[in-house]
Amino acid sequence: MNEMPGWEQIAAAGLLIASGILVVISSIGVLRLPDFFRRMHPPALAYTLGSWTVTLAAMLTTETGPVAHLLLIPLLLAITVPVTTVLLARVALFRRRAARSGDTPPPVTAPAVTLNEQPMAER
Amino acid sequence: MSLFFLLLLPFLVGLVMAVMPTRARTSLAGGASLISAGLTAWLITLYPLVRDGQVIRQTVSWIPSIGLDLILRLDGFAWMFSVLITGIGALVALYARYYMSPADPVSRFYALFLLFMSAMLGVVTSGNLIQLVVFWELTSLISFLLIGYWHHRVDAQRGARMALIVTGAGGLALLGGVIVLGHIVGSFDLDVVLGSGDRVRAHPLYAPVLILVVLGALTKSAQFPFHFWLSRAMAAPTPVSAFLHSATMVKAGVFLLARLWSVLSGTELWFWVVGGAGAATLLLGSYIAMFQHDLKRVLAYSTMSHLGLITLLLGLNSPLAAVAGVFHIMNHAAFKASLFMAAGIVDHETGTRDIRRLTGLWSRMPYTGALALVASAAMAGVPLLNGFLSKEMFFAETVFMTSQPWVERGLPVLATLAAIFAVVYSLRFGYGIFFGSPATDLPREPEEAPRWMRAPIELLVLCCLIVGMAPSVSIGPALAVAALPVVGGVLPEYSLAVWHGFTAPLYMSLIAITVGIAAYVRIRRHQRRGHLQNAPVIERFNARRLFDLGLLWLTLWARRILKVLSPARLQPQMFAIIAIALLLALLAARDLPLAWGEREQLPASAAFVLLWAIGMACAIGAAMMAKFHRLVAITLMGGAGLVTCLTFAWFSAPDLALTQISVEVVTTTLFLLGLRWLPVRLEELGVVASARTRLRRARDLLLAIAAGTGLATLSYAMLTRSAPQSISPFFLERALPEGGGTNAVNVMLVDFRALDTLGEITVLGAVALTVYALLRRFRPAAESMLAPRQQRAVPADVGTDLVGPTTVEGVARGYMGVPTVIARLLLPVMLVVAAHLFLRGHNQPGGGFVAGLVIAIAMITQYIVSGSRFVEGRTRLLPGRWVAWGLLLATCTGLGAITLGYPLLTSHTAHFAVPLLGDVHFPTATFFDLGVLFVVVGATLLMLTAIAHQSLRAHRQPSVVAAPVAHVEAP
Repeated sequence: MNEMPGWEQIAAAGLLIASGILVVISSIGVLRLPDFFRRMHPPALAYTLGSWTVTLAAMLTTETGPVAHLLLIPLLLAITVPVTTVLLARVALFRRRAARSGDTPPPVTAPAVTLNEQPMAER
Repeated sequence: MSLFFLLLLPFLVGLVMAVMPTRARTSLAGGASLISAGLTAWLITLYPLVRDGQVIRQTVSWIPSIGLDLILRLDGFAWMFSVLITGIGALVALYARYYMSPADPVSRFYALFLLFMSAMLGVVTSGNLIQLVVFWELTSLISFLLIGYWHHRVDAQRGARMALIVTGAGGLALLGGVIVLGHIVGSFDLDVVLGSGDRVRAHPLYAPVLILVVLGALTKSAQFPFHFWLSRAMAAPTPVSAFLHSATMVKAGVFLLARLWSVLSGTELWFWVVGGAGAATLLLGSYIAMFQHDLKRVLAYSTMSHLGLITLLLGLNSPLAAVAGVFHIMNHAAFKASLFMAAGIVDHETGTRDIRRLTGLWSRMPYTGALALVASAAMAGVPLLNGFLSKEMFFAETVFMTSQPWVERGLPVLATLAAIFAVVYSLRFGYGIFFGSPATDLPREPEEAPRWMRAPIELLVLCCLIVGMAPSVSIGPALAVAALPVVGGVLPEYSLAVWHGFTAPLYMSLIAITVGIAAYVRIRRHQRRGHLQNAPVIERFNARRLFDLGLLWLTLWARRILKVLSPARLQPQMFAIIAIALLLALLAARDLPLAWGEREQLPASAAFVLLWAIGMACAIGAAMMAKFHRLVAITLMGGAGLVTCLTFAWFSAPDLALTQISVEVVTTTLFLLGLRWLPVRLEELGVVASARTRLRRARDLLLAIAAGTGLATLSYAMLTRSAPQSISPFFLERALPEGGGTNAVNVMLVDFRALDTLGEITVLGAVALTVYALLRRFRPAAESMLAPRQQRAVPADVGTDLVGPTTVEGVARGYMGVPTVIARLLLPVMLVVAAHLFLRGHNQPGGGFVAGLVIAIAMITQYIVSGSRFVEGRTRLLPGRWVAWGLLLATCTGLGAITLGYPLLTSHTAHFAVPLLGDVHFPTATFFDLGVLFVVVGATLLMLTAIAHQSLRAHRQPSVVAAPVAHVEAP
């Protein structure tokens, strides 16, 4: 660490602090926002800009000099996060419809969904 | 020609016959009888070699490390038995050609027949006691298949099972006896055993040996009190009965007694046990035989009583009696085989075996009648027939023996009584069914049997006549040869003449015949009037019922014990495992008190403590939610697992962290897939836990806390002490110079401890196959058969990929569109990651195990997002083959070292200079690691897809499935 030039140390520190602030903001968001759909947005701060800043800091502070393959981390994150997001949103939507909240939009292909839980004998 | 030929020929031909056309009666019968007859002829030519107590001995090394050799030993006695087995076998095989119906699968019959002959020849020619027991058990097993030949019949099933249980149990006792005997003598070699009779009789363990060996013999020979299986075994086809119950199976018991006669006999105990059982069976068998109505059962009980006679003779402790016993073995084989075959002809021609319905058959089948009459006369002991001679010898023995006064007086009476009974049942068999007014209500119109069906009987009856009339010329030499090895050394003086003058035995015979005829007439009159249908007095004691009761009792207790030791529910088993582990640990702690070590401790870090606080919260939460919300519990478990991963990474164990995180992913997927099939927890029922349940939960909690605390304490004690003697430095130092890799963990796995790894991947493959096999038979609980609630919530007319992700069209498909496309694009990326992990494994964190898991995860991801139909429609994964190829590769890599002259699994590192990449080192252990990778991929996929496929299967809906659901809806 000691042989590292001063400007790199300063840059890495700045990036790390920035990513910390981003993560804190997104945590506060998750905590404070009123419902699930709104709470889905703040984490995006953490895994987009937040992950980039951490990765850049890590690249700067690697002992063997800057390495490029760390970039794979934010890249793959960017690819995989939407999967989770879509699935989560979908589940939340489903549950809300099942709970019959008034303001839930109907499914695209059919009108309102009814929870159809009749006993087998009647089906 | 080698003696092994004697065993191998019928065995191999039997195997070949098993795959021959099932209905080729003539060629199969011809083959079987020609082979048997050929062996008989060959055995007869061996006569000069076994004369005068000579022995043919051939040895093949079997398990030399424990002193076991495969020894074939043919002395005069074994020779006589072999001739009987093959000779009667040939006749019965010929007879069976005509007896078996064209519809019967005769290839199975002849295959088993020859296998049985081979096993029986193995019993009589064994020169080694252990080998004898092996063949002995083989005869039990094959006789089970033969008795149950018509396996669609319930009586055949029961009879076969009973025979197997009784003789199998006896075989077990025999094995015990033989082992103790071998322990006393110091060798299992029969020659050594036969030569150390005095030592055995003087040994304190003589009584256990005797009891165990005799148990084996008595069960096999259907002696009292194990006699009941024989009459049930009559459900077998008649040729089987003729073969098994005249010359082979049941004779194995008396063979054994005669074989070990010179070793075990000569004591009071022998006299009472063997003689007592023999006398009881002799009387009981002949008594019951008088009142049987089934032809074959008459013969079965008479077989019992004749074997009792032989057993009694062997039990009398006199060499002369033993000679008589050997003589009777031969005589009985001849007349009983012919009687069974005659009974088979009668059954075959008339369609019934009921003596009450069979009368006056003489006019329809005079030849068979004449043959049966002569054979039954031989059975009754009529002069000028072979049965008379051995019976005379028996009478003489009972009269002239010395023992306690009441035995001396009682035994002749008993013998005469049994002979009277024998005359009665012989008359019922031979006279009753052929004379009198011709029967009119038979199921089939009888006519004379075919020429060659009678031929075997004719030959045997001819033997009876020749032996009966000119014994010393015909059978004398053979008897001398056979009896000499039994009595061990010197043959006693005996005379085989027909006429000995007016002696006590002759009077006994005359009394037996006259009283027998009178009794027959009386009994017949009573039976015609409908009295005496069952054996008086004895009918109350049903040995079979006792046997059934015993079996029932055994099963009941086995079930009860199983219920305690191995309950079907998982929870008690887990409780038992943990409780026992805890108990053992506490026991160990008594001798080795727990103490902390003095290792220097690392400074605590706030971040790490926080991390562990989160992990602990997750773990406790998982335990608490496991009962109430399984999904949450699984999620929390994942959290705890992640904390473990981070801990590993924190303490510089990247290998472990990498493995742990892959395992976490796979495990969580497994749990989630399994969750689908667990029954829904019905909270709506509002069940209030009873006091007992609460108590149980408290107990489980206490145990969990105790075990957990114990483990934590142990770990702490371990971690706080420094380990100067540990093997870790060894691996760290030698990984690079000797293993050729800088990653010590990987080098250890694929090189230093590669044999362990090979064992582990074998276990992994076996476990995966077991899981697969279990899941193939998986039947979900009735309430979890329906589609999940989420899928049922969608009305049928709404198209959504929730239900069928690949079948719906249009916008409905969009829901899963984004995740599916992304996951599919990620597949090659994940495979590249796996390849990367695999290739760098030898020097940096990674390796075959992790890489395999990553590949498995990549594939499972595809399953999750696209569904099994989609994935399997496009790729053929065949996880079973992955496992197989992996094991093959790993093993071959290991064996490769041997072919180059190094110990198994030695690794060699090759260095290449490759353009662009520079110096590349390439250890052969990479192939081994690749094998590991294959096995891991295969095993993981096999297990996961086996569960995933459950939702594709059509489960049969039970008709009352609605009940619990409706119950929930009602309140």
